[in-house]
Amino acid sequence: MIPKPGESIAHICARIATDLLPKASDDYAAADLAFLTVMLSMVQQDFERFADVHVREHDEMCAIFRGARDRLPPDLQARVDAVLGHDQDTSLLASALNARADVTTRLLIDVHAWAEGEAGPEAAWAVDLDREIWRFLDRYAANRAYDVAL
Amino acid sequence: MDERAEALAEGLSRYLTRQRRADWTVTGGARIPGGASRETWRFVAGSGGEQHGIIVRIDPETSLIDTDRALEHAAIDAAYRAGIPAPEPLYLEEDASFIGRPFSIMAEVAGCSASAESLPPEHLEKIGEQKWRWLGRIAALDPAELGLESVMTLPDPQACAMEQVDYWAGVIRDDEIHPNPIAEAAVRWLRRNPPPPPQKLSLVHGDYRTGNFLFSPDGEIRAILDWEMAHIGDPLEDLAWSLDPLWSFNQPQLAGQLIPHREAIAHWEAASGLKVDPHAFRWWRVFASVKGIGIWISSSEDYHHGAAKLPILAIAGWLMTDRQERILCDYLSPHSQHLFPEATA
Repeated sequence: MIPKPGESIAHICARIATDLLPKASDDYAAADLAFLTVMLSMVQQDFERFADVHVREHDEMCAIFRGARDRLPPDLQARVDAVLGHDQDTSLLASALNARADVTTRLLIDVHAWAEGEAGPEAAWAVDLDREIWRFLDRYAANRAYDVAL
Repeated sequence: MDERAEALAEGLSRYLTRQRRADWTVTGGARIPGGASRETWRFVAGSGGEQHGIIVRIDPETSLIDTDRALEHAAIDAAYRAGIPAPEPLYLEEDASFIGRPFSIMAEVAGCSASAESLPPEHLEKIGEQKWRWLGRIAALDPAELGLESVMTLPDPQACAMEQVDYWAGVIRDDEIHPNPIAEAAVRWLRRNPPPPPQKLSLVHGDYRTGNFLFSPDGEIRAILDWEMAHIGDPLEDLAWSLDPLWSFNQPQLAGQLIPHREAIAHWEAASGLKVDPHAFRWWRVFASVKGIGIWISSSEDYHHGAAKLPILAIAGWLMTDRQERILCDYLSPHSQHLFPEATA
């Protein structure tokens, strides 16, 4: 197994930028190579944080679901129970984390839509739930920010 | 020239010879970087002592539906005839027998650049003023007088905003590789807060931004490019898209890396004769980000499934989605720090 894949990707970027890019045959090839280095630097950033982000976000979404569960309609409650029932699945394979995130995030979208529909003076708890989900979405966006010089 | 360029030149020579009933030779093929939606090439076409630079836009192997090609050509043609700076459209060819795919040919606008990185610092204000004045001029045009109603759908003014939402929400749902909770929240916000109907229906360019017009070294805008998303709709759609913080992400105080937002809006209002309603404009700003996410997700999907392998598609899908989501959180989150200025405030 490659011991330090992040560093290896950085070396590939440097090799493209310093050795291959200057030898590009035309502007189009040069732009293509430049885009490849940007792309690889983004892959490197995601490689480093991927599992951490997915595990942390899953835990945060589960915390939201636990707090909201008893207010939710039966169909959403059933989906929450199913997600929380598999909360201890611990595979860190990227494919497994992606599949789990798809289910959990889809549920979050539906819980959010439902909270928006319920929110009002009579349902302060729904307003609070909406605000809690937006707080999560702010972090979700920040978690995916790329550090790229573009 | 490489093999592909030579094959294209040969096919284009045959094509121009037939069209012009005289011997024409096409040489010097160079692919132009950027423009992920269609292959764009620069050639020189010569006959007798005459030589002309031409730009050839070739349909991709995957993707765009036939009407998009014809629609883009019609929009450029209408703009060119109306005195808007646009490349002179020469031919639209649906027959794939010449170079393997349908294509269009435009006259080259020589000596110019479209790149935001090469904007001349001493001419930012001049380019900015022209950019939004030309957009205002486009907004002021009458689509019926341009003859566009025969190639574009004339929307119901009461429904045109929601038709756009439905379209782009559909693109997001159809092309997404994973669920997008921020985009979905924004789509729901757009549906809960419909804007007033447009002050008038206009030709909407659809992708009016820095990077999609050619400017000369002395700061004159010579041609507005990339009309493939043109349609008839609310002119605020173009204004909001042109002012999206995405186009000036590292300098949010500037619109399109050129001039302050308020100045851009003032130029647009002066040229269009329209006033920006802040409530309607806020709606179109959120819409611009949703449309952006639709475009970036679509690019990403093409790359992910191997339909196209250009790295620019992956970068658009990843980096632009990242930034567009942060912009949407800034607009909509109750916890927003409002890093991006309300242009009309």
